[in-house]
Amino acid sequence: MNDAAARLGLTTGMALADAKAMYPALSVADAEPQADARLLAAVADWCDRYTPLIGLDPPDGLLLDITGCAHLFGGEAALGRDIVRRLAQQGLAARVAVADTAGGAWAAARFEKSCLVVPPGGTREALLPLQLAALRIAPEVQEALAQVGLKRIADVIDRPRAPLAARFGQHFIRRLDQALGRDEEPITPRLPVPACVVERRFAEPILLEADVLGTIEFLAHELARVLERRGEGARRLAVALFRTDGKVARAEVGTGAPLRDPARIRALFVERIAAAGDIANPGFGFDVIRLAALATERCDPVQTGLAAPDHSADLAHLIDRLGARFGLRRITRLVPQDTHIPEFAVAAVPAAEDRPPLSRGQAQRTDDRRQQGKNYLSSEPAPTQAGACRPSSDSPTRPIRLFPRPEPIEAMAEVPDGPPVRFRWRQVLHQVAHAEGPERIAMEWWRDEKGRVLTRDYFRIESESGVRAWLYREGLYGHERAPPRWFLHGLFA
Amino acid sequence: MPAFPDRTLDQLRRAVAKIDPASSLELKGGLRLGVPTLDAMLEGGLAFGALHELAPASPFELGAAFGFAFSLAALAAVDGRQVLYIETDFAAMEGGAPYGPGLDQLGLSLDQLLILQVAQPRDALFACEEALKCPALAATLVELPEDGVAADPVATRRLALAVQAGGGLGLLLRQKASPLPIPAMTRWQVAAAVSEPDRFGGLGRTRFDLLLKRNRRGRCGRVIACWNHDQHSFAPEALSLGLAEAARDRSDRAPLRRTA
Repeated sequence: MNDAAARLGLTTGMALADAKAMYPALSVADAEPQADARLLAAVADWCDRYTPLIGLDPPDGLLLDITGCAHLFGGEAALGRDIVRRLAQQGLAARVAVADTAGGAWAAARFEKSCLVVPPGGTREALLPLQLAALRIAPEVQEALAQVGLKRIADVIDRPRAPLAARFGQHFIRRLDQALGRDEEPITPRLPVPACVVERRFAEPILLEADVLGTIEFLAHELARVLERRGEGARRLAVALFRTDGKVARAEVGTGAPLRDPARIRALFVERIAAAGDIANPGFGFDVIRLAALATERCDPVQTGLAAPDHSADLAHLIDRLGARFGLRRITRLVPQDTHIPEFAVAAVPAAEDRPPLSRGQAQRTDDRRQQGKNYLSSEPAPTQAGACRPSSDSPTRPIRLFPRPEPIEAMAEVPDGPPVRFRWRQVLHQVAHAEGPERIAMEWWRDEKGRVLTRDYFRIESESGVRAWLYREGLYGHERAPPRWFLHGLFA
Repeated sequence: MPAFPDRTLDQLRRAVAKIDPASSLELKGGLRLGVPTLDAMLEGGLAFGALHELAPASPFELGAAFGFAFSLAALAAVDGRQVLYIETDFAAMEGGAPYGPGLDQLGLSLDQLLILQVAQPRDALFACEEALKCPALAATLVELPEDGVAADPVATRRLALAVQAGGGLGLLLRQKASPLPIPAMTRWQVAAAVSEPDRFGGLGRTRFDLLLKRNRRGRCGRVIACWNHDQHSFAPEALSLGLAEAARDRSDRAPLRRTA
């Protein structure tokens, strides 16, 4: 229902047929609660320019904690007027009230005539003349109170609490206390509240991507100063671009190590914006740009060595940049696992989480960590030198490429346990010249309750042309499924 | 090549190097492979700060090409620096993903290996360009599906400039050889060679049949190289008979027995 309909005397809850009877020309649209919720969220995003702590109050309200923010906008009244004016420019009508408590502001915004700033300590006086509905209580409770002649807040505010609570419920008393500030009422922020925020406002909106990135770097300088004072570096950074037409674009980047170098922060956002092109679409321009450190970590200055150039920072930066572009999960390290099943023997762990030993001197630390972690080979110190995995032979025992899905092949082999004599893979027949095996790998019985998984016999083979492959026969003759099937699982060098 | 006298070519090269320092063929540092014939052909080893292109001779020899590329990376990374391997999702599905234990046996420690998977070949080239500029990487391998059409002369020229800035080893691995000319220092065709069986008739050491098809700094030719999984290096020459077994130095493995 819009203002025009309200002027005609229509009310919420009226039957549509009655309304149509009164005004046949009435235009009617279905309610869209989800679209309303989206709009509310968008407005909340936009209000982020006033304070980072914003709670949703569905279906039609927002709670802003402006503690310590109002002076940036010329005081509480000016801030309220600014919100109303800017929302009106976007075609939204809003009522704003500022009060000591969330409950007080809620009541004042809905039941007072105009935009209002309740002076500090004046919440009680402001609430006195209001209806009880201003306390955010259920209609039934409100009706019950009305039946005994209690209609305004002034009627209940000084009454003995125990009888009121006994008759109208604890919730009613709680709401009253919250409005008066006797009981706490935390505002649940919609977005995580950042550890540290810097922002820049423009008198004239900026349009160019280069300007946006320049601003981000400028803000990163300020952020670096703050973080340096705290001895911290950022692990997660977010930039919010406020468009003049009310849209807010956000971009977030993660880092592998605590970071506060402005040039590097800028480089990460260059990647992020390039990867998701529509973020930097300026429309009519951005008027506020904000950089926030969402998560920080301790970051002590590092002594630079004289002996050899240390490239660990370069590497961390490369990982972060590639991560910003493709996602931090896409850049991985292989970590040995405690299992003998070939395909699970290593797990790909995001490189940003698994900090590598960047020089040989740091290898010891990895050893310690590996012995602590359950996922690592815990029985003996993990290998750090290449080739320590297995006793060596002339030829490697494990392939260097493994197919994610073993490829079915047709093979001819001696029964029961002989190596294949020839096999057909990808429509080409290969004649086996040399073979080693079988290496029998049974599945982990403790994970296979029904005994469905078959034993594998692996063979390392070399074809007559020198191609080496890792084949296996799934199933044993006479014991498990007949006839067993053959697969090609990997390729050797 | 022999159409010009060597002196003329040298003069021309020096003149071009004055105009465009990036095109200079002066070796900034070479990776010695330990195979005398190969090192002679490469005139001092595989050039650092340059792009090298590899392709398998047939689709089935992808394992060999991949193994040769990683053995080069392992040699380059002996100083403890990192190696980045970039592959596309499709390549991993089609040709298999790099397998940790096998690479570890080949000689590249898993602590030194980073893997990046991207969706498109174009992304792989972009990531490769970024990585080649990074001095923390000893080698960057990028694998392109099929003939790597995305790696056109413009893209590869960018890679060549990037690798000059970074000074690492740029290895461009194509799943299928491409006739397109690219500004790579060398172009290799890798095939698997029949191995010398060990004493018990089992599989012997890995052997590569390497065809150096293009070499901007020296001769081209064909060499059979043998990779030693114990010492993580190319064996100098594959000796013919069983005599080779006696000559093998295993002092690190069983010192007690030797002294006794």
